[in-house]
Amino acid sequence: MISFLILISTVVCFSAILALALNFQWGLGGMVNFGMAGLYALGTYSCALLMLKGGANTFFATLGAMAIVAAACGVIALVTLRVTEEDYFAIVTLGVGEMLRLVALNEDWLTKGALGLTGIPRPLGDVIAPEYYQYFLLGLSVALLAGTVWFLNVIARSPFGRIMRALREDDVVAATLGKHVLWARVRIFAIGGAIIGLAGSLHGFYYQYIDPTQFSNIVIAYAFMAVIAGGRGAHQGVIWGAAVVMVLLEGSRFMKDLIPVLDSDQLAAIRIIIIGIGLILLLVFRPQGFMREYRLQVNFK
Amino acid sequence: MLQTAFNGLVTGIIVTLPALAVTLLFGVLKFPNFAVGSMMTLAAYLVFALNVQLGWPLVISTAVVAVAFGGLLIAIDYVTFKPLRERGSITLMVASLGLGFVLENIARLAYGNTARSFAIELARPFRFLDIRMNREQMITIVVSTLAMLAMYFLLTRMPIGRAMRAVADNPALALVRGIESPRIIRWTWFIAGMLLAVGGVLIGMDRALEPPMGSSYLVAVFAAAILGGLGSPLGAFIGALVIGIVSELATLVIPPNYRIGIPLCVIALILIFRPQGLFGQPYIRK
Repeated sequence: MISFLILISTVVCFSAILALALNFQWGLGGMVNFGMAGLYALGTYSCALLMLKGGANTFFATLGAMAIVAAACGVIALVTLRVTEEDYFAIVTLGVGEMLRLVALNEDWLTKGALGLTGIPRPLGDVIAPEYYQYFLLGLSVALLAGTVWFLNVIARSPFGRIMRALREDDVVAATLGKHVLWARVRIFAIGGAIIGLAGSLHGFYYQYIDPTQFSNIVIAYAFMAVIAGGRGAHQGVIWGAAVVMVLLEGSRFMKDLIPVLDSDQLAAIRIIIIGIGLILLLVFRPQGFMREYRLQVNFK
Repeated sequence: MLQTAFNGLVTGIIVTLPALAVTLLFGVLKFPNFAVGSMMTLAAYLVFALNVQLGWPLVISTAVVAVAFGGLLIAIDYVTFKPLRERGSITLMVASLGLGFVLENIARLAYGNTARSFAIELARPFRFLDIRMNREQMITIVVSTLAMLAMYFLLTRMPIGRAMRAVADNPALALVRGIESPRIIRWTWFIAGMLLAVGGVLIGMDRALEPPMGSSYLVAVFAAAILGGLGSPLGAFIGALVIGIVSELATLVIPPNYRIGIPLCVIALILIFRPQGLFGQPYIRK
């Protein structure tokens, strides 16, 4: 049981990092990202391949994955060069996400296609004894989550954070005030992408085995649920949101014991139906989430 | 080459119906609906239930499901999108994503992941000027053309179609002229439901019925609608044909698995060089 709790806490940590990335791009910067699943896969595969094929160690592989996803996101953001309509941007991100997943599935020489990659090295994997490794991985994930929150809080409260919120609320006004909208958008999306790369690397370290089915579109639903439940823009809220979503999700695996007549495909379908309905209910009844965005406050005495 | 172009034409024709549905829904409701793929899947499985499990002829099953599915979409709109109508397009898009998961997995829950097909007897392919066409392709061409003509008639000649175009063009002005938008929205869902049901059956005939069948067309459908200018019905039709032919011809040079990349490149190029699409109106902000 303790071991299960430790594993689920680790999952919560990297899901929370992923949700924070979406929160940064969409919650703070107003740039919706429906390509999360594909970009997450890009991060995980880049990290794994840098180690397996490129011979990098885990630290540099993670940095490399962050850089690759950040670059990909920066290029996507350039598409908004002419069209600032969020509808079109959403469709573009969706398409790019699909494309990245197809690459993972079809480029057998690189990603081994549907078979997936096995034996992904872990940070300090040969130094730490296997029976203690899960504690170390949890500690590492918590530390990286804390670091991400700290970093995002710093950005959110910096002048760049104010530009982000201005763009989110009204990009025409921001442009009128002399802000370079396109460049700011590229940076927002790229920073978010780096965080997706980090979450993806942790995903690889945790499972040690990756295949394209782990990155289905349902990843997008988790991330959106976590961000909406937590409250757009609220970092701590998003972590709680991710924790609740992942615990419910992992907990629902025990449904199998309650309803033995269903096979595993049907159970998976039911879980996704529940997630979809939950997402819609959340949007209808609690669109503002359960926590508030940080606001600068001054105490008058 | 000619054969490939013909196959592409058929692929494009398959995309026309959902692209038209997307563009009508976007015109009236002002958000891209990501659930259209799963809606086609669900409709195709409903037709499968009538056609294979109850043994009805495919034509009658499709007609019954098309009407029922139009009604079902009105009901779905009432519980999901109606409460969110005033909340901006991103909220509606996220809701449509969630709805897509629900619909696709209802089909998966009922019929599993195995590929299935409709009960239609096999027929020998038919040759014409060195082009081989099978019966499914001919049915696709005939059905889509008829549906397109019906849509053209509806949108230009009938009061409800003109009202839909008016609401799409300028909701406030339409309201001033006494057009009730809730009624128009219901009609739009109904018509979109019929188009998607027929589109789903055509996709199911072309390939096989499996849960991701509809969503795999999603990018192509949106590319067609954007290429034609979102909100322009004629544009959606031509956009779909262009996307179909171009992506099929492209498989001569790139691996067929990446066919989806072509619509994506088309979207990117259109957004950079001609954001309003081929037949759309330039959009002026504020």
